[in-house]
Amino acid sequence: MNAISSVGILRTNFQFCQVIIPLALFGLIAVATILKPSFLSLNNIQDILTQAAPLALVVLGQAFVILVRGLDLSVASLMASSAVLATAFNATSDAMIPVIFAATVLVSACVGLINGMLVTKRNVSPFLATLAMMIVLQGVRFYYTQGAPYGSLPEGFRFLGVGRIAGIPVNICAFCVCFCFLCWLLHKSSFGRMIYITGGNPTSAKLVGINADRVTIFCYVISSVMAGIAGLFLVGFVGTVDNWVGRGYEIDAIVACVLGGIMLTGGKGTLWGAATGALILILIFNVVIILGLPVQAQLIIKGIIIIVIAALFSRANEP
Amino acid sequence: MDLSRIGYFVRRFSLDPSLIIVIVLLVVVVTAGFLLSDRFGTMRNFMNVLEQASGLGYASIGQALVVIVGGIDLSIGSVVTASTVLMAAVVNVHPALMIPMIFGTLFFGVVIGFVNGYVTIKTGVHPLIVTLGTASILNGTVLIYTLQPTGSVPYWFEEFSYGRIGNVPISGIVMLICFLLVWVFLRYFQAGRALYAVGGNPEAAHLSGIRSNRVILFAYSASGFFAALAGAYFVSRTGVGDPRVGDPITLASITPVILGGLILGGGKGNILGVCLGVILISLLSNLLNYMNVSTFIQWVIQGLIIIVAVSVYVHKGKKL
Repeated sequence: MNAISSVGILRTNFQFCQVIIPLALFGLIAVATILKPSFLSLNNIQDILTQAAPLALVVLGQAFVILVRGLDLSVASLMASSAVLATAFNATSDAMIPVIFAATVLVSACVGLINGMLVTKRNVSPFLATLAMMIVLQGVRFYYTQGAPYGSLPEGFRFLGVGRIAGIPVNICAFCVCFCFLCWLLHKSSFGRMIYITGGNPTSAKLVGINADRVTIFCYVISSVMAGIAGLFLVGFVGTVDNWVGRGYEIDAIVACVLGGIMLTGGKGTLWGAATGALILILIFNVVIILGLPVQAQLIIKGIIIIVIAALFSRANEP
Repeated sequence: MDLSRIGYFVRRFSLDPSLIIVIVLLVVVVTAGFLLSDRFGTMRNFMNVLEQASGLGYASIGQALVVIVGGIDLSIGSVVTASTVLMAAVVNVHPALMIPMIFGTLFFGVVIGFVNGYVTIKTGVHPLIVTLGTASILNGTVLIYTLQPTGSVPYWFEEFSYGRIGNVPISGIVMLICFLLVWVFLRYFQAGRALYAVGGNPEAAHLSGIRSNRVILFAYSASGFFAALAGAYFVSRTGVGDPRVGDPITLASITPVILGGLILGGGKGNILGVCLGVILISLLSNLLNYMNVSTFIQWVIQGLIIIVAVSVYVHKGKKL
């Protein structure tokens, strides 16, 4: 019964998302193309996608956490930490890349586990638990690097960040793999149903026999692991490791989720929406540059758009 | 001492149980300070700490008021920044406008806070998103205006942060008076009690005849006011308007609020706990500096303290 009713809620939300999100996306693309016809060139599209991929990876994870009524502020700090962790191997051969990825996933999963445990078992508010985690990770990272990261990364990282296979950016391929898997997990598997039910109403989830705590913890683990991986791809894209890799991504990820129609009250939204939200955000940044406005104007436009879109969504979801 | 006596004192002074954790931590830090450093336990050091704490103190009062009505204000840092730049930039051109600009800046803070509250009420968007949006807009505007510290203020304005009455810093006195006034307001005034009522249960508050919207507007406006006051303090301290000065303040203002026993989600907590939280954070960082502990380790300690403070009590009910 619960599964059915939460699907119903999804549908009503769906109709609205189906109109406004693609509309915003096409509107932006149209504006950009009119202003600068070369915007639609293959090269520029590839560039934009390459830029969007690390953010989109984080957004996918963040979406899971927001769906279970949470919030993950530790993602940006974790991105930088995974980048610093990667340099700790001081690897020179590309053969080490899988090892680096495995270590990152392991450490990130532990961070997600702690976040999830604090939120579920100790009933700490997600905002505070992940905020504290953000500060702790930042401290540990700076202490390890003493302010300036050293060590080196294998050459192959650059390929992961900016390389292309048959014209398709490598990091977009990675994003597609993660996206397909997570879409299956959230929208097709029974576990995904449990996530929606837990997010929609944790008490009734417990009553129908779902281990709501475990579902929530798992969502935090997904978010952290995605952030860790995104950190590695972002390092590949930027080309250097510093202590602030991914700074501001926690806010951008939350904003992208809200733009994509994922409700902060939990239980509503789709991964398609989240990914589109990320793309819209990156397009906004691009359009600002195309318009020749100062980079700081991105902040102003971002601020206005978050409030306006969030207001539209909250109106549309009023009973 | 026998335990029932403690219980008696707790009841006698109507101590909120949530205050106990900040008091215990404060005792631990001060005791450790006296044992570990011979420079920590001097009156001069305590006065210096009080002087340095006030910027964070002002910001935390505002944050606390918003948290009590069940919201959160992530625009505090950007209001601090915007007001420092606004004040320093205008006074730089017209030094005679110094005193009007102090009030002008405070008014600016109130306006931004009012806008936050108004948008939150009218759209029903989560305050997290609204204040994040305003923060982004304000930061962008300030950074378009200037990328470096800019402007100047007359030397006498320095007195607001560095001035002393006898041996006691003026800024510290102003901070303590603010805390005291807010405490009296929250405890003994009908309007103050309304803040708790709205934070605890907006519908019940509405049904019992409280105009929730006005109360929420008031809380956000007050938060903007205190953020602007913190901005004035930073201008007085540095003499310039710095477009980056407020960045760490937003999150820093949440820590004392949480340590003081306020609950995200609203309706509970004592503002004096927030005052103790501010003093605790300042004393702790002062002590760690004397012990030559690196800033990086201080971050770790700060994060761990938040985790410990919020996970000691298991809070039932709504969360943010």
